[in-house]
Amino acid sequence: MISLSDYNHAHSANSIAVSVKDLGLTYTTSIDKKPTLKARLKSLGRGKKFTRTVRALSDVSIDVHYGTVLGIIGSNGAGKSSLMRVISGIVPPSQGRVEVFGSVSTLLALGVGFNPAMTGRDNVYLGGLAAGMSRNEIDANFQAIAEFSELGEAIDAPMRTYSSGMYARLAFSVAAVVEPDILIIDEALSTGDAKFKEKSLNRIKELRTADRALILVSHALATIEDICNEVIWLNNGKLMARGKPTEVIAAYREFVDARKSASSDEDV
Amino acid sequence: MRAYMGSLWARRTFISEFSRSELREQNYGSLFGQLWLILNPLLLSGVYFLLINVIGGKSDSARFAHLTASLFLFYLIANSLTGGVKAITSGQRLILNTSFPRIMLPISATVVALFRFVPTLVVFFGIHIILRLPYSWQMLWALPIILIAIVMSLGMAILISCINVYFRDISSMLPYLTRSLLYLSPILYEAAHMSVRIKKFEIANPIFYLLDSWSRVVVHAEAPSAKGLIHASVFAISIFSLGTYFFLSRERDFAVRL
Repeated sequence: MISLSDYNHAHSANSIAVSVKDLGLTYTTSIDKKPTLKARLKSLGRGKKFTRTVRALSDVSIDVHYGTVLGIIGSNGAGKSSLMRVISGIVPPSQGRVEVFGSVSTLLALGVGFNPAMTGRDNVYLGGLAAGMSRNEIDANFQAIAEFSELGEAIDAPMRTYSSGMYARLAFSVAAVVEPDILIIDEALSTGDAKFKEKSLNRIKELRTADRALILVSHALATIEDICNEVIWLNNGKLMARGKPTEVIAAYREFVDARKSASSDEDV
Repeated sequence: MRAYMGSLWARRTFISEFSRSELREQNYGSLFGQLWLILNPLLLSGVYFLLINVIGGKSDSARFAHLTASLFLFYLIANSLTGGVKAITSGQRLILNTSFPRIMLPISATVVALFRFVPTLVVFFGIHIILRLPYSWQMLWALPIILIAIVMSLGMAILISCINVYFRDISSMLPYLTRSLLYLSPILYEAAHMSVRIKKFEIANPIFYLLDSWSRVVVHAEAPSAKGLIHASVFAISIFSLGTYFFLSRERDFAVRL
């Protein structure tokens, strides 16, 4: 779901949109060796608590300028989504500083806040309001949303009758009408059928303007290379490389291939 | 804080729409749908009519009216607590993927409870006419009493939603807590009929004097006691302030805790 955190502002190209300095993010999760009441009571008595510390991000520093489309790549658990959540203000950083100069929209998951018992039409309003739009803005954009989703008469059917593709199409269509200063998208382009994926991709391309910054997380390296003009590569919460898409993606591929061959050697 | 309140105010339409959708979901697929908002209090009052007037063999209209009126207001608070307790934990996807004032979620739980309470007022108005209960201008005290009940419900929903993030067992304990509150409050009995020895302990019950004032006003058409109003207001404001402070001070931690 997109969330619009502030009002839109006018920005000159190349001015800073997001500044991240020495960012660290640490989660502490409690773990029980024996998840029983007896074990809990015993640990209470000793004042001990079994916890595991997860370092999701470590000393990450990046600046994102207006006019930039920044791609973020990395394997699962690299810290991509954590970085997106910190930038968009969902999770507070454990260390370092994050400064955002403009309104931020996040498209981290599709259809968040939707109610399956309600019709597609009702959910357009619910999703739009959750994104920070006013009812008048949704009224004005409703036709465009309905047409983009290609749902036809199904827009008035309860969403619990939708296929996952239809669900994703409507969710992306609601999100696509918001035009923020900084747009953060996490894996949202990998939904729907091939035709809708292409349509979503084109919409993202339309949003590339000099007075907007886009941050895109994806495992689809070809898409990242096609859309982005800058890429960063994260691994185990650390910034491994930053630069032109072709160079960073090549370095990442080389790293992944080396790891694959190392693990296949081990298998032998 | 000012920016936070501004952001909350800007999303007031979302709170209303979100609450409506929750309410619609509760009655989704049922034959009577939203009509259950009226049917529920009607059937509840019918059950107590059966208990008091038919099985009990008493035609005590004031007792029946007291019971239904007090239950309806009690359910505003109990429904707010029940909806509030899981407001944050069940909104996990929303919290992890969207930046918005988290306090909107327990507020929505109270708005849902309020949507369910309003039809009960209509039902009670009908009961009031049928039983030919007295009327007076003192009944206008019902408005500030409802306002106090809303502030208390809101405070309780905000507080319990936050407690549940850190202590999940509270949601399992809640049915017993609300049931205890029901029996310790003047609902099944009237406050005037209690012994002075027991009544002095009721100062610790946040809703005791609220329900007593409500019954005096809407059933007996009398003015509430000053002590009753002050007690209810102090508890409502204290719970609301404590709940809001606790919630706002812990809010940034929710995304990591869920």
